[in-house]
Amino acid sequence: MNNYHHINTQTELEQLIDRYYDGETSVQEEQELRQCLADCPWSSEVIDGARFTMGYYAAHTSQQQRAKRRSNRLRMTGIAATIAIILGIGAFTLWHQQQPGDVCIAYVNGQVVQENEQVMAMIADDLEKMDNAADAMTNQLSSLGEAIELDNQ
Amino acid sequence: MKRITIIILTCLLTTMATMAQTGLNINRLFDGRYKKAAGATEIIVTGVQAREIGLTVYHSLSVTDKNQAELVEGLVVKDGAHAVDKEVEYRNGQLYYGFYTMKKSKRDNRYIFYLNQNLARKSPKNIVTLIYMEGLATQDEIKKLIRK
Repeated sequence: MNNYHHINTQTELEQLIDRYYDGETSVQEEQELRQCLADCPWSSEVIDGARFTMGYYAAHTSQQQRAKRRSNRLRMTGIAATIAIILGIGAFTLWHQQQPGDVCIAYVNGQVVQENEQVMAMIADDLEKMDNAADAMTNQLSSLGEAIELDNQ
Repeated sequence: MKRITIIILTCLLTTMATMAQTGLNINRLFDGRYKKAAGATEIIVTGVQAREIGLTVYHSLSVTDKNQAELVEGLVVKDGAHAVDKEVEYRNGQLYYGFYTMKKSKRDNRYIFYLNQNLARKSPKNIVTLIYMEGLATQDEIKKLIRK
């Protein structure tokens, strides 16, 4: 409150308000009073009454509300950031779990096969079967094509 | 408040996208149920060994049980309906052979092979084989791989 020449404490403000109502304040004191009512955090029946009378109540209240809103916004941003971090960690953990590590294993009739060569041989066998089936399909298609060609000759 | 909603939604979508990448019906078969089952062979290869054949994931399942074979065929057909490319052959109303190219998972291509040897003309066997492959390999490279 050092900005004000005549007001350093809440009591001084209340005394100045009394003097204002009695018409004993100077122009400079009146300006300071208006300024102080708009800015200062003090609150009492006399001070709030003066604010109301002099039209600063709404301004003061809106200042307080603005400060409260700012604080709420900060709190919400903090909560949102925490949620975002938790979700981010969750997503990363999921992603990490789904990244394939080094695995080379087969289960045959309930028996575990862990020899890489054996497992790779089993894969080769599976792929050969697929190849034969794909070949059979291709052969069927080509013989169908040949038959149509012969028929057209 | 808008900013907070956007942050939360972005995080949720990221999580969902991460979870959705494995969204194939055949994944139900790879939950470990066949690891100790008689008449079933499951092969899992990832990492170094998979990279040797140009893949990141090789996962296959062969079953001899008729009911299990029907389950495998049903799930393959379901996934096949969403394939971006497919080569299939039906015999006697049943799926004999299928090669499906699925939608990419992130950067990896995904392929499903299916073969019901019970429907083979030469020496049929009571075996249904399903292979799931994932990797950067193109369709042609996969075909070359099975012809090696």
